[in-house]
Amino acid sequence: MTLSVSGLSTERSGRIILHPTSLSIEPSARIGLVGPSGSGKSTLGHALIDDLHRQGRIVAHVPQSPDEALDPLRTMRFHWHEAEAALGLPHDAPRQQQLFSALGIAHGDLRKRPWGWSRGMQQRFVIAMALIGSPELIVLDEPTSALDPVVAADSMDLLDRFLSGRQTAMILITHDLALAAQRVSQLMVMDNGCLVEQASTSALLNTPKTKAAKALSAHRNWMPHPC
Amino acid sequence: MIRSILSLLLRALVVVSGASIVTFILLWNAPGDPALAIAMARYHQVVSADVLDQVRNEVGLDAGFWSAFKAWIGPLLAGDFGKSTVTDREVWPELVTAMSYTFPLAMLALVCGMCVALPLAILATKHPGSVLDRAAIGMASLGAAIPPYWLGLLLILLFAVYLDWLPAMGALSTTHMVLPALTLGLGVTASLTRIIRSGILDAREQAFLPAFRRRCVLSRNIGRDHIAPHATIPVITVFGLELAFLLEGLVMVEVIFGRPGLGSFLVNAIEARDFPKVQAVVLLTALVFVVINLIIDVIYQVIDPRIGEHDA
Amino acid sequence: MLNVDNISVRRGKSPALQDISLTIEKGKTLAVVGESGAGKSTLIASILGMLKPWCGTITWSGSPVRTCRPALVMQEPRAAFNPAWLLKQSVLEPVIARQSNLPPKRLKRLCAGLELTPDLLNRKPTEISIGQAQRMGILRALIAAPPLILFDEPLSALDAVTQKHTARLIAHLQAEEGFAALIVTHDLGYACAHSEEIAVLKSGRIEEVSTPQDFIASPKTKYGRKLRDAAVSLGALERAA
Repeated sequence: MTLSVSGLSTERSGRIILHPTSLSIEPSARIGLVGPSGSGKSTLGHALIDDLHRQGRIVAHVPQSPDEALDPLRTMRFHWHEAEAALGLPHDAPRQQQLFSALGIAHGDLRKRPWGWSRGMQQRFVIAMALIGSPELIVLDEPTSALDPVVAADSMDLLDRFLSGRQTAMILITHDLALAAQRVSQLMVMDNGCLVEQASTSALLNTPKTKAAKALSAHRNWMPHPC
Repeated sequence: MIRSILSLLLRALVVVSGASIVTFILLWNAPGDPALAIAMARYHQVVSADVLDQVRNEVGLDAGFWSAFKAWIGPLLAGDFGKSTVTDREVWPELVTAMSYTFPLAMLALVCGMCVALPLAILATKHPGSVLDRAAIGMASLGAAIPPYWLGLLLILLFAVYLDWLPAMGALSTTHMVLPALTLGLGVTASLTRIIRSGILDAREQAFLPAFRRRCVLSRNIGRDHIAPHATIPVITVFGLELAFLLEGLVMVEVIFGRPGLGSFLVNAIEARDFPKVQAVVLLTALVFVVINLIIDVIYQVIDPRIGEHDA
Repeated sequence: MLNVDNISVRRGKSPALQDISLTIEKGKTLAVVGESGAGKSTLIASILGMLKPWCGTITWSGSPVRTCRPALVMQEPRAAFNPAWLLKQSVLEPVIARQSNLPPKRLKRLCAGLELTPDLLNRKPTEISIGQAQRMGILRALIAAPPLILFDEPLSALDAVTQKHTARLIAHLQAEEGFAALIVTHDLGYACAHSEEIAVLKSGRIEEVSTPQDFIASPKTKYGRKLRDAAVSLGALERAA
């Protein structure tokens, strides 16, 4: 079922940081939400999740760093059980096993607290936790920036593999168009709290229309730049 | 595990023995003639030089610091607190009697303080900046600003003198405990409210909490499972430090209300230069501190094993 | 020329760096890449003299490295400045500390090179954007014309567009000023685009050193290959045909 929201907006201390935005997300969609820092990407992500929750939809969120997702004083098992209970689900060991092996953390010691795991494993645990209720949408907020590239790439690959063939849609929030281009089929460009451009990945890379999209597209590669 | 327990015990030993040795040295070198003070306490009158010499000889003041130190520490290591230099009675039974007055009072003040402070702080932090919150802060500042000796006198004036509801002095019945407990309890409540309130407010700022809300964890559960443990750490840390002030207030309150507890015991002992008694109280206080800090360390270990990980 | 000769550094009991040898010629850039915990920050601290290697030497053209007064650009631009000071104070501090004279117009010229308007210098670190703050950090590093500048993850706090922009400004200024640069980064794309040599650091050891072209085409070690493949899969690098 298509997810749709309309008129999302956010204000903080009297300043509008997200102008009214409407969007709809097809099942299995792979969407990249890109823009410079401070353009309101994360704000839109949060508003989207909160609104869909109000509609009674199952939507999961993976914050930028595991530090923002896990309580250092609680064990991994506690987190897992809490996440299940929050969705009103009973504890389901096979489901847990399936998610853990899909994300390559089956060997993790659940009695430990987050800091007893490596950061890469923590991040994958957070992703696994997000997938518990077979959500209709998973929102990843800068999933790679707090991790080492090797670990980040592994996590993204595992998630991609898990999601393929499933109904769960994915929104990838990032400032890095090159990263998004590797992972998604559709792109949405944000600038100054507005959603300024939506297009398929190839269209946006080749024929960006707005100024923000042009800047992102022009600066997406590191390699040879005529100065 | 065994190593960390051993190191904790070793530290405790250092604190306790250090505190008693330092006190011994301080007492020995305090200005004034100890023999005179002891004689005054014994005979309640001015005495001749012969009597003073006799006292000096009996107590061992003329034998010099080291022999006095040995005479004190030898029996102590065997668990013997010695005899009072004034009354020549055993210190230990008198100390136990004094404690039987002091510990119930301290516990009552602590428990009452906690019972008021915890709900008050939780209510106050529901809406930071609200009337209730401001009232709680106001009460906390007031309680911290009023010294116990002044509050004690005010309470005596009000409840014992004008209203004649409660007895002012002594420790004959449980009603005698109400006013001292109130005096002490206000200070305890004030400081606890302040600590718990700021502990909760700080714990609420944890960066991971929004993610838990977005995971649809009930806010009630977030409060219980995530905010409370994070708030506990600063609270028990500061609580351990505040204990010193509680003990200080205890001494004053007991003297004001004429309770024969540790406070009066200590003040009388100091006035009379009754070395064994003073030493006994110091040792006991140091022990209480060490035990409470041990308990705090254990609580840290349970809540957050990372604390003290890199300790020597 | 910076010459790191066979140094080993211990942190606590465990070795943090082992048998590291590196050289950077004047005006050239060496990028050090590797996972967190590989010893990248230890390397910087050792070169700056904050950690003493227990064997090996670090020299600048034959004399101890501190005689050349290297500068450092840090990862968190805003945290690198005293929040109570005006940026002007922070930026000019190296000149004052060295008791040297600031050639006239140098500040103006560097500001222009870093696309900073002079009025920004009269603000405080929190009053400018994070990209501007990082350029201020570079300005402070450059102001006393050190022959060697160390960059510790200089771009990781910036967004993709600002990253590339800032990297190009650094390259321009390096061409003008001729300083040697050591860049510590986990972004292989940046390392390949803006350095003459890449050193891969893993668990305190240098796995391989090669030119960016060689590294992208065929990393010599298993870890190097993993690093390159990750960068490709994250879009930071395009694999050479």
